[in-house]
Amino acid sequence: MNETTQHTYETATARIEEIIRRLDSGEAGLRETLDLCKEGRELVEFCAAELDAVGQGLEELRLDELVARLEQRPTEGS
Amino acid sequence: MSEQLRPEGIEGVDFKGPYAVGAYAKFLQGRMRDVARVQVFGEVFNMRRSRGAKVYFELRDGDGALPCSMWRTDFEQLGLAADAVVDGAQIVVAGGPDYYPGSRTSSPSFSFHVTGVRVAGEGDLLAQLDRLRKALHSEGLFEPQKRLHRPVLPRTIGVVTGEGGKARDDVLAGLRRRGWGGRVVWAFAPVQDRHAAPRITQALQDLAAVDEVEVIVVARGGGSLADLFAFCDETLCRTVAMLRLPVTSVGHHTDRTLIDDVAAVSCSTPTHAAESAVPLHCGEARASAARCAGALQRHGRHAVVVRARALAQLSRAPAEHVARHRGRLHQWLREIRAAGRRGCERRRRDIQTRAVVLNRKVGAARGPEAEARRGRLESLTAAIAAHDPQRVVARGYAMVEDRAGEVVTTAAAARAARDVRLRFSDADVDARIQEQ
Repeated sequence: MNETTQHTYETATARIEEIIRRLDSGEAGLRETLDLCKEGRELVEFCAAELDAVGQGLEELRLDELVARLEQRPTEGS
Repeated sequence: MSEQLRPEGIEGVDFKGPYAVGAYAKFLQGRMRDVARVQVFGEVFNMRRSRGAKVYFELRDGDGALPCSMWRTDFEQLGLAADAVVDGAQIVVAGGPDYYPGSRTSSPSFSFHVTGVRVAGEGDLLAQLDRLRKALHSEGLFEPQKRLHRPVLPRTIGVVTGEGGKARDDVLAGLRRRGWGGRVVWAFAPVQDRHAAPRITQALQDLAAVDEVEVIVVARGGGSLADLFAFCDETLCRTVAMLRLPVTSVGHHTDRTLIDDVAAVSCSTPTHAAESAVPLHCGEARASAARCAGALQRHGRHAVVVRARALAQLSRAPAEHVARHRGRLHQWLREIRAAGRRGCERRRRDIQTRAVVLNRKVGAARGPEAEARRGRLESLTAAIAAHDPQRVVARGYAMVEDRAGEVVTTAAAARAARDVRLRFSDADVDARIQEQ
């Protein structure tokens, strides 16, 4: 999971395309295929989570509201 | 207005009057028209060629401005090219101040009534703008924004725009059309005021200071170059160029401002700017992710299934080998049986053939000799039968046998045997020899 958390959406999709190209080539052995499928599934889940993060409905905030909310966070945590 | 209704003036004020406003407006109109006719030069702003009887525009320079109007027929008689008197054009106008006194139903207005126009050349402001553009370009300030990474799927977008403008709705509509439902942070600032640049600059810096914000859109509606001059402000443009976040500006084909040159992306409408801020279409991306997941699933399954089939094929090979041999053995067995049947048949036919030959030979052997032999045989048989003891017994004689079944032919033998059997033609009778 450490690998996927370092990804951005772009790098994740690029890696997925690379994985599918490799799989389409038919050159990968069984072990490599299964490893690539596992990695690919994790990346697809990561991308889906990223899409979900911007799929909850548009939220509008004024800048001062956002700043106020961010300033409250440390006090909530303490 | 009748004299009886005229109100009292303000106590302590020495001015004349009070006069009825209509009368004073007409007086003012007359005084305006008495002012000497002059020639004035400046840059054209906010040129409006409405369908009405007049053409309106403003004449501006760095120190002030003058609202101008001209009869449409006079303007058209000048025979100027369509793009000669446009915003930013430097012109000389002839005329004088005029005042429209208005009425109970129409507003009064002041304007410089233009009777003649001469196009003097490109406006100072445009030339100044061009110099600034070249300066920024030569300093390489058009490049830093272009080199910034633009996330394809930002979660938070900062937007600088006018609070009540149509651009705000257009940005939201554009974002929704992308299927994007993240967070929009509004930093409102006046966007159609030439003195708005410091407010816009501040808004940009404030948004950039928030870690959550990933991209910024500066959205404005269309307008005259004068109104958009805020977006040509040198400080604003330098701020944008050095900002840590990519800025998408909204330009128009007809009124490109300097911020459009320094920004990471320049779009023609707020809608396009929103789409540029979220390059990824979320709906399409979901479909693509689903396709990728399906492809991965297929590849994984295919890799296993193909190999499993190959293994199954290999595991079946010995059994198939045995079955092949078994089949061959069965075949051989059938062939052997068939060959046996064929051999038996052949021998049967040979035997039949020999039987036929023998029969023929037997038939050939029959004849007169056979008849003679049969006659002699029959006579011999009759002779033998004539000597048969049974025939004598049948005639009423009896035959004596001992216990061993031997014929007793003498009296001495009969005495010796003691127990005898008398054989008559109808039955046997056991008897004991007794001497008296």
